[in-house]
Amino acid sequence: MSNPANSSQHTISLDAYAVLLALILALLVRLNLVPPIKW
Amino acid sequence: MTTSAITPARPITLVSHIVALIPGLLLLAAVGYAGKLIEQSIAAYTKAHHITFPNIEYVLWAIVIGLIIANTAGIPHIFQAGVATYEFWLKTGIVLLGSRFLLGDVLHLGGISLLLVAIAITLSLTFMHILGRAFRLKPKLTSLLAVGSSICGVSAIIAAKPAIDADDEDASYAIAAILALGAISLFTFPLIGHSLHLSDKAYGLWAGLAVDNTAEATAAGALYSDAAGKVAVLAKTTRNALIGFIVLGYALYWSSRGEAQKVGNKAAFLWRKFPKFVLGFLLISLLATLGFFTKPQLTSLTNLSRWAFLLTFAGVGLRTDLRELVKQGWKPFAAGAIGEVFIALLTLGLVYGADSFLRL
Repeated sequence: MSNPANSSQHTISLDAYAVLLALILALLVRLNLVPPIKW
Repeated sequence: MTTSAITPARPITLVSHIVALIPGLLLLAAVGYAGKLIEQSIAAYTKAHHITFPNIEYVLWAIVIGLIIANTAGIPHIFQAGVATYEFWLKTGIVLLGSRFLLGDVLHLGGISLLLVAIAITLSLTFMHILGRAFRLKPKLTSLLAVGSSICGVSAIIAAKPAIDADDEDASYAIAAILALGAISLFTFPLIGHSLHLSDKAYGLWAGLAVDNTAEATAAGALYSDAAGKVAVLAKTTRNALIGFIVLGYALYWSSRGEAQKVGNKAAFLWRKFPKFVLGFLLISLLATLGFFTKPQLTSLTNLSRWAFLLTFAGVGLRTDLRELVKQGWKPFAAGAIGEVFIALLTLGLVYGADSFLRL
């Protein structure tokens, strides 16, 4: 279990990194720089 | 000179940090993919042999495999850093899922969710405090349990803990109780939803309003159906967005009693506590609404979000250590469990009401 005392700051940067990764992926898909993603 | 001595060390630290994540990431991928293979194999077998068998989503298999590993062999230290990234994949998946919502749908369903969340939070916070008194729990532990069960589980407890100067021990109790109750919700909510013949929208809204942790709410929705999972994420995201207001309320209450530090700039406090991934979700939804992506590109983004959720669901099972939860004592768990049943019934009533009067 994570230490709650340290996790508050961790959560903020985690959100920012998650948004950044999602936007980069969306841009790569938009510019057709990655092949169609299958499930 | 000092700077030049420190600067070269940074990339090495970053690289070693990323390398340390790889074993756990591979474990997440292996467990999640094994769940997917089991779902596909059962579907192929039952189809080939003309057997009628309900489709059990990979979500359940991934969680069960993770639970078995975590509670038998345990998670060796080398995997732990990578496994802990499951929350990162959850948030990335939610932002990408924004592409499946037109902004109008977000405002319509989000507006209904917001109204229901406001009613549910007010009543459930009150009920949790009555329960805390009945079970003679420490007041700050009661506050943490109330925040965790009415807003968004572990994240809310972590956000509230420093704001109300609660003990580490209280936070650990509250987190353990919320995690145990989240695991139980995963298995009970879909069964109740099916027995009540809830529509995908109604069930998704219920799961998003009642299940505490975002990962568990997403999984509980996806276990019912793809469409229910989508609605559950939207309702849960609306609930998450309110975290700052509730934590601010508690911080002001405890500081007025001289048992927590004073809150300075309230707007800055709200911004610090606001879950930023909600903004990413809205931005991708706006781009999709404006036609920024073609249809095949939207399919790719949806599938990327599914892969991110696959890693998340594997992590939900792998991080649930049932032995650790048993050690925490029965009182916080019992108070939490009674509170959860109350919240589940309350939100179910609200969803029925919304379905009749607001047309979901």
